[in-house]
Amino acid sequence: MVSPITERTLFGLGGLGRRMAHLFEEADAGATPFGSWTRLNAWDAGPNLVIRAEVPGLSERDIQLTIRQDVLTLSGERNVDPPEGYSAHRRERASTRFSRSVRLGVRVDADKAVAIVKNGILSVTLPKSAEQPPRQIPVKAAS
Amino acid sequence: MQETPINVQRGDAIERPVLSPRVDILESETEIVLCADLPGADEDAVRLSIERDTMLLEAATRLPAAEGEPLAVEFGDVLYRRAFLIPKTVDPDGISAELRNGVLRVRMPKNAQPRARRIEVQAIQ
Repeated sequence: MVSPITERTLFGLGGLGRRMAHLFEEADAGATPFGSWTRLNAWDAGPNLVIRAEVPGLSERDIQLTIRQDVLTLSGERNVDPPEGYSAHRRERASTRFSRSVRLGVRVDADKAVAIVKNGILSVTLPKSAEQPPRQIPVKAAS
Repeated sequence: MQETPINVQRGDAIERPVLSPRVDILESETEIVLCADLPGADEDAVRLSIERDTMLLEAATRLPAAEGEPLAVEFGDVLYRRAFLIPKTVDPDGISAELRNGVLRVRMPKNAQPRARRIEVQAIQ
C-alpha cells in the first residue's frame, strides 16, 4: 500500500538525505520502502546516537532490537486482524511482520542502550563506544 | 457539541502537514469500531467532534524534540485529520474512545432496534 505521505511534502531534505547516505544506510537489501513499516528518524547527538521509529499499536513486548557490530535491527509484529465476530468494512492498517536494519556508521555500546516506547513512537538511545586507539602494525622485511 | 482546542505545546507557528490517518472500520452485531493509527499523538491532543451525522477526528502530534545532527529524517510532526459519516444505526451518545500506543479506538454502539416512528394519519374532516 502506498502511503499518502512523501518525503518531499514532509521535509524536502533530499539533499541532506543523500549527503548522509553513506553514514546511515540501509543494511539489508530488502529494506522497507519509505512510508511503510517502519519510518525512522536518527540523530548524532554527540556521545549518543538517537533513533526514533513510528510503531503505532505496538507495546514494548512487540518490538525486538538487536545490535550486531554497527548494524541495528528493529523488528516486530503487529496483528490488527479483526477479532472473532467482527467483519471489516475498511482495512488500511497493516497486520505486518516487519524488520528494518540500519548501519550506524559507528560502534555503539549495546549494553548501555536504552529504548522506550510511548504513544506509538519508539525512542532508542545508543551510547557510542569509546574510540579504539590507533594501532601500529609492524611491517617486516621479507628475508 | 462543545469544542476543546487541540493542545499543541510547540509547532503552533509551524505549518505542519495535514495527514489522513490510516483506519480500520470493523463491525459486530452490537457495535462499530474505528481504529486509527496516530503515532506521536498524545491523549490531550486528540479531538473527536460529532456534528449531525459526521464525526471529525483531529490529532496533533507532539514528537520528542530532535537531538543533535540529523542522520535520517523520515517523519515529523503532523496534524491528522479525517471525517467519517456515522451510520444511522449508531447511537451518538454512546460513542467512546481510547488511545493506546498511538492507536485511537472509537467504539460506536449500535441501537438495539432502529427507531421506528409511526406517523399517525389523521382523517381530514
